[in-house]
Amino acid sequence: MNRLSKKNFWAVTSFILFIFISSCEPLVTQFEDVEESIKYSAKHTQTPPTVVDTIKVMTWNIRFGAGRLPWFGDSCGDRVILSEDEVLINLRGIAEMITQVKPDILFLQEIDVQSKRSAYIDQVQWLLNHTYFNYGSYASMWKAQIVPSDGLGKIDTGNAVLSRWKIIKAERIQLPLRGDQDALTKYFYLRRNILKTKIDLPGVDSFYALDIHSSAFSTDDTKQKQLIRFKEELDKLDAAGSYFVAGGDLNEIPPGSDSTDFCDEDKCSGESFHGSHDDPKHKEGSNFTHEITWLQDLYDTYQSAVPLDEYLINQPDYFTHTTDWNGPWNRKLDYLFTNTKWIVGSHSTHQDIVDFSDHVAVSAKWEVPK
Amino acid sequence: MRKKINFIMALLFMSFFCTITMVLADEPNKKSQQNWSQNSAYLVPTGRMEVGLFQSMRYGLLENMELSSHPLVFVLMPNLSLKWSHKSFGGFTFSTRHSIYYPSPLLRNLAREGIGGIISPEFEIPDMVSLYNEALLSKIITKHHLLTGKLGIAFAKKFSELDERTTIDLPIVFPRLAVFYYDYSFRFGFDVQGKLFKRWEYLMDADLFYIPKSDENIAFEHKGLVVWTKSPRFQLCFGYKLSYCEYPFGTQWHLLLPLFDLQWAWQLK
Repeated sequence: MNRLSKKNFWAVTSFILFIFISSCEPLVTQFEDVEESIKYSAKHTQTPPTVVDTIKVMTWNIRFGAGRLPWFGDSCGDRVILSEDEVLINLRGIAEMITQVKPDILFLQEIDVQSKRSAYIDQVQWLLNHTYFNYGSYASMWKAQIVPSDGLGKIDTGNAVLSRWKIIKAERIQLPLRGDQDALTKYFYLRRNILKTKIDLPGVDSFYALDIHSSAFSTDDTKQKQLIRFKEELDKLDAAGSYFVAGGDLNEIPPGSDSTDFCDEDKCSGESFHGSHDDPKHKEGSNFTHEITWLQDLYDTYQSAVPLDEYLINQPDYFTHTTDWNGPWNRKLDYLFTNTKWIVGSHSTHQDIVDFSDHVAVSAKWEVPK
Repeated sequence: MRKKINFIMALLFMSFFCTITMVLADEPNKKSQQNWSQNSAYLVPTGRMEVGLFQSMRYGLLENMELSSHPLVFVLMPNLSLKWSHKSFGGFTFSTRHSIYYPSPLLRNLAREGIGGIISPEFEIPDMVSLYNEALLSKIITKHHLLTGKLGIAFAKKFSELDERTTIDLPIVFPRLAVFYYDYSFRFGFDVQGKLFKRWEYLMDADLFYIPKSDENIAFEHKGLVVWTKSPRFQLCFGYKLSYCEYPFGTQWHLLLPLFDLQWAWQLK
């Protein structure tokens, strides 16, 4: 998607715009500030526990079932449209890993529901049907009839929350759009969101699960605005006396991280950064130096599944992402927070699962308030 | 079972098409002196050239033969059509249209990195051609209204493998390129055109695409146009197109607005 921001769409999109003017299906779907998200249920539901003391929560950016394939948009690759077999192999691996860890509530990011790149498999429905989860909700962050670049074609990808218990209410909350793009690029670009779900957890009156995937490539303060908006939503729930678990791929590293610039690790062949003649100086989405405090407020206000002090003592053990298939995980981008408490020592950063995404799943047990 | 039905339908259609073509071939029809007649069995008059911004360029080669091509896309997609008028019967005017398309250069151009990449560059586009054969039957139904029925079959030949992930899943485009993935397809339809008042005319059509070997085997298109004819040398038309299509991801309707075209004509000889 980096490439989209650098080039002019006019010439190619004029024909496609003509086709979709006044069409029943808009070329690019835009969203209300707050709107109901899409609800799902498994083909065969299973009775969930009716008495719970703790629940396991997990977050995972599943990279639309692309596993470790060299996709053009995020790993210097040349692949664009995956085959159904390729996607299903990875989805089966993801389902197997989910079944092993057995979370009760699962936050997913980069999950496709109707995208040409992933063989038009509705991955939310597929995972519901191939795991023990009963209910799901989906909020799109990028929905276009066609993205006229690199053969990407039709796309619908976003966040999902899967739950064993019924999802009573689900909202898609729009996050600020990137401020560093021209109007036309912004029109075709991703629309990040928070997926806010109210879950019918036994014994808890007002329980919410919020899933976020914030901006990956913005070079201005867009991501900071999104994180502030995320915290505002959490603050509102906290002030109302509700309980929440919240998390996702924040595309941000924790305050105090030793490494803050990953341009060298992320650069593709032929790219150069940090040199006196390099423009831009940094690779989009790889330099966190000036953003290093943007998560401080979240850490100060709420409980992180992986406490900050624990992370700072041994950072590599909690890294959740890499763009280098041959190297180790090299940064933490994925988080879980709550306004109550996690069971001490219950968190896991599942670094051993390497084949099914460029992100590591993070899980922890949440203590159900009495 | 479905394969059997598809096969029977294909046989029936080809039998009908071949029989009528053989019986009636090579007889010029008396109604061929019609201008702006691309949507009917009538041919453009001999020596007359018609060209539109978006519609094909047509030339009356002989009294019973018309040549046409889409000049805008010819460089990237060489194409040529021959419309052939046959013997009239029972008040019907009968023609057949035979077209050849070579879309490989266009598709290769669309298979690119970056902006303009409608097809992923990871795929090879082979050399391939399609032949489209269509029978057209026109009948004047009242004094100023003409009804035309159309039956067509397209065949395609690929000279190496074409990956199914190269489909362009867009209205109008998808059903027309389907033949390259599934070897043959059918098209049925009708047009009604006539006078509204003074220089104003209308055209309504409906087309059904049927691709027997595909899981997404049905597409439907309907067009409505209002035409203003200034003179035998110029006309303007505008309207809409409605599209229903089965795509690999499901079915969709599209209302395409606005359709617009300017057309000019000359007598070349």
